[in-house]
Amino acid sequence: MAVLTHFLRDMHQVLFRDAEQHAIPSMDGALSPNDALDRCRPVGEALPGADDVAEAPDGALYVSAGPRVLRLSGPGYAERAAVAEFPGAAGGLALHPDGRLLVCVAGHGLAAIDAAGGQRWLTEAEGRPLHCLTSVAVAPDGTIFASEGSRLNLPEEWCRDLLQRNRAGRVIACGPGLDAPQVLLRDLAYPHGLAVSPDGRFLWLAESWRHRVSRAPIAGRGIGPLAPVIRNLPGYPARLGPAADGGFWLAIFALRTHLIEFVLREDDFRDEMMRTVAPEYWIGPALATSGDALEPMQSGGIKALGIQKPWAPPRSYGLVARLDAEGEIVESLHSRVGGRYHGVTAARDVAQGLVIVSKGHGRLLLETSGANA
Amino acid sequence: MSIAALDRRTQRLRYAWSPRLLFAELLMKQWFEPVIPFTVMVALAVYFSLTIPDYATARNALSLMRLFAEFGFVALGMAFTLISGGIDLSVGAIFALCNFAALFCLFVLGLPAWLTVLATVATGAVLGSMNGLLIGYLKARPFLTTLVTLIILRAGVNLLNERFATVFATNSVDSDAWDFLGEGSVLGIPANAAALLLVLIVGHIFLSRSRYGWHLTAIGASRKAARHAGIRVERMLFATYVLSGALCALGGVFYAARQGSTDSTTGLGWEFQALTAVVLGGASLAGGRGTVWRAMIGALIIFMLINGLVRIGIPGYVTSGAMGVILLAAVGIDVKWSKNRGKVVQKTYVNPARVPLPACPAIARASASPFAQNDRLVDAEAIGLDQVEGPEDVILDRQDRVYGGTRDGNIIRFSGPRFERREVFAHIGGRPLGMQFDKDENLIVCVAGMGVYGVRPDGAVFKVTDETNRTWYKLNDDSRLRMADDLDIAPDGKIYFSDCTTRYEMTTNALDIIEGRPNGRLVCHDPATRKTSTLISHFYFPNGICVAHDGRSVFIASTTLCQIYRYWIAGPRRGELEVAIDALPGNPDNINRASDGTYWLALVGIRTPTFDLAARKPGFRLRMVKQVPGDEWLAPGLNHGCVLRFNEAGEILESFWDPTGISHSTLTSMREHKGYLYLGGLENNRIGRIKLDRGDPGWTGYAAYWGNKRRDRG
Repeated sequence: MAVLTHFLRDMHQVLFRDAEQHAIPSMDGALSPNDALDRCRPVGEALPGADDVAEAPDGALYVSAGPRVLRLSGPGYAERAAVAEFPGAAGGLALHPDGRLLVCVAGHGLAAIDAAGGQRWLTEAEGRPLHCLTSVAVAPDGTIFASEGSRLNLPEEWCRDLLQRNRAGRVIACGPGLDAPQVLLRDLAYPHGLAVSPDGRFLWLAESWRHRVSRAPIAGRGIGPLAPVIRNLPGYPARLGPAADGGFWLAIFALRTHLIEFVLREDDFRDEMMRTVAPEYWIGPALATSGDALEPMQSGGIKALGIQKPWAPPRSYGLVARLDAEGEIVESLHSRVGGRYHGVTAARDVAQGLVIVSKGHGRLLLETSGANA
Repeated sequence: MSIAALDRRTQRLRYAWSPRLLFAELLMKQWFEPVIPFTVMVALAVYFSLTIPDYATARNALSLMRLFAEFGFVALGMAFTLISGGIDLSVGAIFALCNFAALFCLFVLGLPAWLTVLATVATGAVLGSMNGLLIGYLKARPFLTTLVTLIILRAGVNLLNERFATVFATNSVDSDAWDFLGEGSVLGIPANAAALLLVLIVGHIFLSRSRYGWHLTAIGASRKAARHAGIRVERMLFATYVLSGALCALGGVFYAARQGSTDSTTGLGWEFQALTAVVLGGASLAGGRGTVWRAMIGALIIFMLINGLVRIGIPGYVTSGAMGVILLAAVGIDVKWSKNRGKVVQKTYVNPARVPLPACPAIARASASPFAQNDRLVDAEAIGLDQVEGPEDVILDRQDRVYGGTRDGNIIRFSGPRFERREVFAHIGGRPLGMQFDKDENLIVCVAGMGVYGVRPDGAVFKVTDETNRTWYKLNDDSRLRMADDLDIAPDGKIYFSDCTTRYEMTTNALDIIEGRPNGRLVCHDPATRKTSTLISHFYFPNGICVAHDGRSVFIASTTLCQIYRYWIAGPRRGELEVAIDALPGNPDNINRASDGTYWLALVGIRTPTFDLAARKPGFRLRMVKQVPGDEWLAPGLNHGCVLRFNEAGEILESFWDPTGISHSTLTSMREHKGYLYLGGLENNRIGRIKLDRGDPGWTGYAAYWGNKRRDRG
């Protein structure tokens, strides 16, 4: 039986070359490794759980970190103030053209906060609760798009969702008043990042477990057919943030490894692992490497003569890639194995430079040297 | 017998009954190569026995042997030329001409039988030497050259036949010797078959055991390399064709003795039958591969097939066609087989088994476990930082000098009050691993890939042992020490050491852990008798070895099973094996004595929940090895350092950790010396040392084994 399933999988890879189960591409060209991310300057104190960042019209930043959303302002974003606190972890952020802040709250739904601090909620779509909202974007006409990573797991259980090989994500749209939600796309492989192109014509979508970025033309509150832009990324994409030149910054929160891809094919092993092993010790991508002795180890990660190779198989990795307006990767910033800032979940160009959220290390980074700043 | 012994027996059974493993090891064997032709030969014999009446009788066998022998000689001549990288298409023609020559000598010249034989063989040798001259010295292409010789000689034979056929037909000689050659028997075997057997034995010894045979094979494998190695290629090639000619002549003599006549069909087409036979037997057309026996297997197949088909009543042209098809198939298989055998071995050599791992004890800091993590090794003082490459084991001598065996095959010694003086104490080569001083202060060292070696105090290296007794029922030759890992010396001077795997090497020993089979062994060398013998032959990756303080037992660390065993070497329980520590949170490495009568133990790897899970899933590990690149294989946690202390009862007393491997990761060894603990690591760039709270400042390893700190006497 096992032989047959493996044969069928092999044949599937041969016959459906664009399918998601696909050889990991090597990181070359614009994705060639560097240590640019490690050289970035952290902004202020650590922000445990930092997840997404949005920019207000006045140049201030909103950052979601744990249950709170903070407002960072002033030169170098030195001033911090708590904006809101939620019963669940705050994730994806966006600013509505009318000035309201939209926040994805784990386990609850989408919250809209007006200037006075009043909250309005969207908690379900088509009768299903929105427990795992990952990202939110707004079209120029005020239509709100939100992505739900999975209807089966909470955002902090993303690794379980990957190992369960779920295709349980949705993209929904609703009116500016969080009214009339409708499901635009379903059965997605953990949609993690949504963005509207600067001209307002396209909705861009990053799907983590399918390692791809796609886009669809926006038609009112609906969208046209989804077309892939980048297939088969070497990592798991998270959010898409605007870049100064009209393209996007794509945060890639972890890299695929041959071992993880292998484990994803090993159903029996995966099931037993999820049943019997604590989630922090699973074979799977991670936002940060803790050095805990019980974490899975790959033989290439051995420290030789006191040094761990930066090209060792990564349990966690820091990577941000810049896409041009057509979706071509043109530049990337890395923090390799043993580096300082892993698990990047969001990045965007803002008034003072490029701001990057390293969720793995709970840091907000500011890169001011780049030409794109 | 204890449960452990019973358990080991069932494990041994399972080990012996892995068909994949058997298959992979069989394929590695040189003698397994002709398995396909051999099977075909047996199948043919069985088939004809069933279909042809009276086929499987002694009489039929003898008559077949008599018919076969001459063809056997010709095929052998062809085999030698093929192995030398050439080909001799003129074998059939030489055979025919020699048949004629023998008859001519006998009937026309009237020579006695013995002279006839000599003259005929000389004729064959001269004819072969023409090929040899052209091919060896004038560098002509063997195929074309021998094709031309074939045509010329065949024409010559036909001419001569026409002239002398009537002479031969009307003459006869009355010579017992000549009749014996044609119809006699030796010990019941036809004379010509007996001669063939004799020639085969000599030929086999020549080809496989003599220098010239090796030269011949070397030339066939690569003419250029053979020349560069100083082999006289021209002369060897010349000799090969002379030999081929002489062998054909021998065939011719026996044929003449048996038939006493000649005609235009004598030996016709034999060159192709011989070629088919030899290639079918597994001699490579590209040269350099083939044996005498395999050539004979091929020849027997062809002979039986032709003979059998004729007897069944199949027309001759069909038989010829069948020969052609067989030659085609044999050549195809020859190409595919030689190209892919190595790959098949590679694909099937690793055979993971389910590893019966015990439950894993807790190591969390907050746990009350004796294994609980701490930071006691993080600030270890560094000796020789960046001056040593992976000191797997460390040891100190009576002059307080530190020794470490490094990856480049050296024993590095640090001396001076702060160990600032570095010197290469000895260069052994291989990969020095476990070390111990014997009574005469020779440093005895386990060297992976070489065996057990010794270094005298003046730095002179000598071999202690590099082989042990071979296990008779194992396919893999395990007489050589593959990876001697750690050793210790008992009070009587016997050296006990672990040979951690008999299936892998230093560079691939991670595969042994992944395979999880008892491939290692405990070996003992007695310097008094210079004898080496295997004490335990199936052991899961034996690593650290330590003779107990009382000298009556040996502790053995099983890296795969995460357990410590005790093997009794004296007293009433001598020869018994028992579990001393049944569950460790990591993979144990070296064990050494502590000053207070307890023992030190290093953990090279830490068990992770996922690796433990993989240990229970052999199929998962097998597919991982096949589908995932080596650098990405799942491994135990190797970037952590842990040293444990345990007592005679196997209770863990305390632990020393560098939990994230800041100073010491992949920690493999430790030695106590005058109140300090010295640390070595397989992949580290330093030797470490920490001060012990309760260490005996007067205690040294040498004194504990051979001096005033011994505990084995009352």
